[in-house]
Amino acid sequence: MTVLDCEILGGDFAGAGRASQALKKALASIGVEAAAMRRALIATYEAEANVVIHARRGRLHVYFGPGQIDVEVEDEGPGIPDIELAMKEGYSTAPAEARELGFGAGMGLPNIRRATDRLSVQSTPGSGTRVAFTIRFRPEECAGSHAHSLRVDPARCRRCAHCLRACPTAALRLREAGPELLEHRCIDCTRCIAACATSALSMRGSDAGPATREGTTLVLPEPVVHQFGPSAGGGLAREAARRLGFAAVWTLGPWHDALSEATLAHATGARGPRPTISPVCPAVLALIAIRFPSLLPDVAPFVTPAEAARHELGAQPAAFIVLCPAERTTLTSTMGAPRVEVLAPAWLFRELGSSLPALRRERASAEPGAAPPARPIPEVGRDRVLRVTSVESVARVLERAEQGQLADLHVLELYACREGCFGSPLLVEDPHIARHRAALEVRAEETGARAVPRPEPMAPRPGLRLDPSMAEAIKKLARLDALVQDLPGRDCGSCGAPTCSAFAEDVVLGRALLAACAHRRAGQEEERCSST
Amino acid sequence: MLGLAEIAEAAAARVVVAPAGARTVDRVYAGDRISDLLECSSASTLIVTNLASRQLVELAALMDVPAVCLLSGAEPDPELARAAEASGTALLVSPHDMFETCGRLWARLSGGRCAE
Repeated sequence: MTVLDCEILGGDFAGAGRASQALKKALASIGVEAAAMRRALIATYEAEANVVIHARRGRLHVYFGPGQIDVEVEDEGPGIPDIELAMKEGYSTAPAEARELGFGAGMGLPNIRRATDRLSVQSTPGSGTRVAFTIRFRPEECAGSHAHSLRVDPARCRRCAHCLRACPTAALRLREAGPELLEHRCIDCTRCIAACATSALSMRGSDAGPATREGTTLVLPEPVVHQFGPSAGGGLAREAARRLGFAAVWTLGPWHDALSEATLAHATGARGPRPTISPVCPAVLALIAIRFPSLLPDVAPFVTPAEAARHELGAQPAAFIVLCPAERTTLTSTMGAPRVEVLAPAWLFRELGSSLPALRRERASAEPGAAPPARPIPEVGRDRVLRVTSVESVARVLERAEQGQLADLHVLELYACREGCFGSPLLVEDPHIARHRAALEVRAEETGARAVPRPEPMAPRPGLRLDPSMAEAIKKLARLDALVQDLPGRDCGSCGAPTCSAFAEDVVLGRALLAACAHRRAGQEEERCSST
Repeated sequence: MLGLAEIAEAAAARVVVAPAGARTVDRVYAGDRISDLLECSSASTLIVTNLASRQLVELAALMDVPAVCLLSGAEPDPELARAAEASGTALLVSPHDMFETCGRLWARLSGGRCAE
């Protein structure tokens, strides 16, 4: 959601700070704490001053997300020929007029970098510069501050507790009022959605259709077109999608292939003691950032296939069908890229449910063409690529990678869902069947698919820290260990936490009371009885 | 912690704008570069600077700086004083240069102790 959109005029030194002032007001109205406010204002003021000093005009956009703000300052100006140089403290190209007023000390970008959690600078000399940054509120705790796309609807919850056991990162708790999500632990995979029979847990925005189709490109993940039975074929579903009134329909298959090839090439070029991890699944990337941060340097420096397609589409309007909350989060919160519309497959199924049968009849009555030749499955370098699906297996393999036990492998292609994206619970066809059909299909030549470099390396997510202060965290850890010894270890889930150790952490962090453990209560009563 | 009157007394400064409400500072930052002032400002910082500009006052308001002290007896123009008044920032003018002004303020803030 955009909360702020301000024009900045080049050379208007008297007006410098006006956009930042407007941001201050907006942040104050939502109760942002002082330290985060300060960082946001320092970064925004510097970015605003840069437009005033160097450019003809610019715009400030601020997007407000859960626990963070994304700020974009775009300008029409001379651009920055050497961004690395511009990031150096004291390097300045500001005119004398600006310097007389105290501006142009060459500290702008360095100050922004220090004040922000993420910064990206893109510039085209002669045309303009785009500075985008993120400020996270309370980064040291991160609790509840991570963007995710899971919708929790407690009213639908039957308290079956399947989700508790399904969650691979112990991010769910079952409270009196229904499921509660510890957002900082959630990696946005589909496990709990698959486990929930009553849709108390689902992907956000699952019901909506696109706001507009005219002039919009519809982007489909490959598995979506293989959900319509044996006679539909991917081609037929694609044709039906084209008739929905969109300007164009893209499928992500070629983008997946492009990423696989680029990752393999990268792995072959940069051969280290550990395999290269393909950035193909955003939920796996989140898992690495939260549980295996030491493996982050091993992730190939590309964006996911959907992000790559979005990058290619530039500012053109686009609607993406996504198969998991992680993909949705990636497409709705990545900074420095134009906003796109994100839809669940359910919408497409509804639409095609009515148009596909007619199209099928139409095809059947037409001249039968020659059967298209089967496409060779892109198995380039398959002997050097280990493909692992489902998040539990992925976690085990990542543990082995962290221990340096996978030196024989070049590339790890890891998917959180079973059978890769084909196993998304938002789809209807059995994943093995759909995958088989996809492998046999002749893919229409789509040009332009390529691997897009990741603008900045992935950062670890410090969400699992017990306390912002190291000393306190050590104390809490000791308490947690003692508590785990003391708890029954049955992992019964009746306290609302998935395991006894998750419950112990809840107690230490003040999220639960020790009295919530039924077995411990019962045990104490027994002791009391036997001692009397 | 110094109040407005104490700052003025310590630096022998003239108070040009004294907004309603108590203004106290517990640290002083002196500098002439906007970026430095921005990074080192806080709601309890007195800014000491030669930059007698409208932007300076705007910056002070943005970062909730309670008071700004200009130097070398530089008379602030009426527009600047009006902006300070509007944003609730106290404005002082010290007759001394940056070095001496800061020295005097340091002596008062540290209670007469010498730097170690």
